[in-house]
Amino acid sequence: MDSKRKKDSPESNELTRSSPFPDEVLERVLGLVKSHKDRSSVSLVCKDWYNAERWSRTHVFIGNCYSVSPEIVARRFPNIRSVTLKGKPRFSDFNLVPLNWGADIHAWLVVFASKYPLLEELRLKRMTVTDESLEFLATTFTNFKALSLLSCDGFSTDGLAAIATHCKNMTELDIQENGIDDLGGGWLSCFPENFTSLEVLNFANLSSDVSFDALEKLVSRCRSLKFLKVNKNITLEQLQRLLECAPQLTELGTGSFHQELTTRQYAELESAFNNCKNLNTLSGLCEATPLYLPVLYPACMNLTFLNLSDAALQSGELAKLLDHCPNLQRLWVLDTVEDKGLEAVGLSCPLLEELRVFPADPYEQDVVHGVTEMGFVAVSYGCPRLHYVLYFCRQMTNAAVATIVKNCPDFTHFRLCVMNPGEPDYLTDEPMDEAFGAVVKNCTKLQRLAVSGLLTDLTFEYIGKYAKNLETLSVAFAGSSDWGMQCVLSGCSKLRKLEIRDCPFGNEALLSGLEKYESMRSLWMSACNVTMNACRRLAKQMPRLNVEVMKDEESDDSQADKVYVYRSVAGPRRDAPPFVLTL
Amino acid sequence: MISGRSNKKRGFIEAFELPPQTLPLLLWNDHPNDDDDDDDRKGVENSSFIAKKNDDGYCIVGWPPIKFRRKKICSHNRDDNDRTVLHNGSARAGVGGGVNPNSKYVKVKMVGVGIARKIDLSRHHSYQTLTNTLINMFGKCQQDAQSFKLAYQDREGDWLLAGDVPWRTFIQSVERLKILRIGG
Repeated sequence: MDSKRKKDSPESNELTRSSPFPDEVLERVLGLVKSHKDRSSVSLVCKDWYNAERWSRTHVFIGNCYSVSPEIVARRFPNIRSVTLKGKPRFSDFNLVPLNWGADIHAWLVVFASKYPLLEELRLKRMTVTDESLEFLATTFTNFKALSLLSCDGFSTDGLAAIATHCKNMTELDIQENGIDDLGGGWLSCFPENFTSLEVLNFANLSSDVSFDALEKLVSRCRSLKFLKVNKNITLEQLQRLLECAPQLTELGTGSFHQELTTRQYAELESAFNNCKNLNTLSGLCEATPLYLPVLYPACMNLTFLNLSDAALQSGELAKLLDHCPNLQRLWVLDTVEDKGLEAVGLSCPLLEELRVFPADPYEQDVVHGVTEMGFVAVSYGCPRLHYVLYFCRQMTNAAVATIVKNCPDFTHFRLCVMNPGEPDYLTDEPMDEAFGAVVKNCTKLQRLAVSGLLTDLTFEYIGKYAKNLETLSVAFAGSSDWGMQCVLSGCSKLRKLEIRDCPFGNEALLSGLEKYESMRSLWMSACNVTMNACRRLAKQMPRLNVEVMKDEESDDSQADKVYVYRSVAGPRRDAPPFVLTL
Repeated sequence: MISGRSNKKRGFIEAFELPPQTLPLLLWNDHPNDDDDDDDRKGVENSSFIAKKNDDGYCIVGWPPIKFRRKKICSHNRDDNDRTVLHNGSARAGVGGGVNPNSKYVKVKMVGVGIARKIDLSRHHSYQTLTNTLINMFGKCQQDAQSFKLAYQDREGDWLLAGDVPWRTFIQSVERLKILRIGG
């Protein structure tokens, strides 16, 4: 704090101020700070800055909806226009969290209705959202503009209808990967005829038909529409008509790409894509018929993100397509492209920064295809800027990973999933410890890591020793003893999220992280060796943590099957269902 | 028909050594996550995790870690059984857990009953639970069960009596089930 007092202006009666700036100036300046991490830092400087920051903040990001209550948020930040909330633990994506666990948005909306009546944006991830909540949102917040729902559940297309009907100023409606009750496509027709403000529309995830007539008219009259992602029911012919209406699109998600086209239709489609010179993102291409992929070529010049994870392409088809995408930075594919396809990636995409390879047949045992370590290595040679990878494969070697990170030392996100649990290096039969050792030693900027394969405590020794910037770690079927987890907890100073399943980590490991958990967002441990008593001890010693346990049906009384620990200023949950035990 | 075992006619209950009291029914339409962790926990009960090649395939819930939506796309090209599963899954309300991605639905026909049923074998880990579910599915009670036997058709097309091989072998090779009357 500045101990010198600057001469105050006569109007000011704040004679004891230490800041050299009047509030208004400070607020103006701080208002330009956008990143929520920076804003957190700003608020810690001194009381004046804390106040200026809180008055000038318009967007709040809450990474765990139970870490704080809506009342506390509203008290601190009076001028919020945009809220981002995340709810359930990430492993709920993989069926590890029962339905009705919580993270219901409604209580938040009720508080926002009185404190933030001018709320404009709501972005939710893994929250439960009911139709009533959507209706409440639509009818209460007259200024509401942008709704983004990612991996949420609890609502149906009726809720979307309410949004379309009542939100007169809507600019963004983004419905992604949700567990939603699709009762029909009538919701789209609820946008009024004089409604023209839409800029983002994503309903790729919905399965029933919308009225194409309504969609076409909507797209035509929304001249500012930039992102359009339609669902599988939109045919190629319909797509062509939409593109004719909206050549200004920058992001496009197509419907199915396999209708039978006449020569004339093909030509028209090609021409439509030719007019879309502003496309930087392309996705959809569901069940793409390779024969029609060339219609895309004219639009691919400026593509930076190509999402082919719904199109089971073979290597040759991918190679031909990539020839036309010289500026690609992000690529998502299915492993049907195989190593050969990834070689093409290495050859054609020198600017590539992100690669995600998803398995086309994840549950099939007898698959002889898919990608191997060779494909990944090939990409690493051709794409030195690669820093984000999500890679599903069935075999990997320590040597390959060492080569990969030597070629690409800038990894920030390294998520490797060798699909058979506990799979060793298939050439040497050794654990994959050295692979991840190489990753953490070489990639000093690593923020997120997911490990797999046969791993001993050595992997975690490496992680604790070298991964000093690591924030998120996902572990499954790995490790040999408590020591492994202890290494991570004591070594990774920036760790915020740790999620563990099916590992031999027990009470000693859990309790070694007591103070650590207060500096983290959350810890998840399921199917490990943790007992109820240890969890109770944790809860008792750390009152500012919420320690929640969910037990499996046939488990022993003393076992804590699923443990979720997170810091909170809101105290224990008041809405926990009976199967969530708060200790 | 039933290979090499026609002289060993056993009752349902006798064949699978069901205890006299009724076992709790597994709810196989709701709460898809409740019985999930059983299989894979066996691997981690020891303090040092010894990796075993899982020759039964992936009977592990939530593994590989692929999001719900993506599972639907990936399974799109699979056979009849799975397509039915997908159809059921997408019609279900509020799907957070939704369709078990490791479902193994097989047809079950009971002699004398016109309509075949389907059962998700991935929800069962023993012959006991399977037979109990089947008993209830076809509206029979424990006593009636004595007069039936369970047969299955394996990948080679042979019909075998269920219960003679370990559960894990059974589940890998079973393609369809049939409930037959004993002595008939």
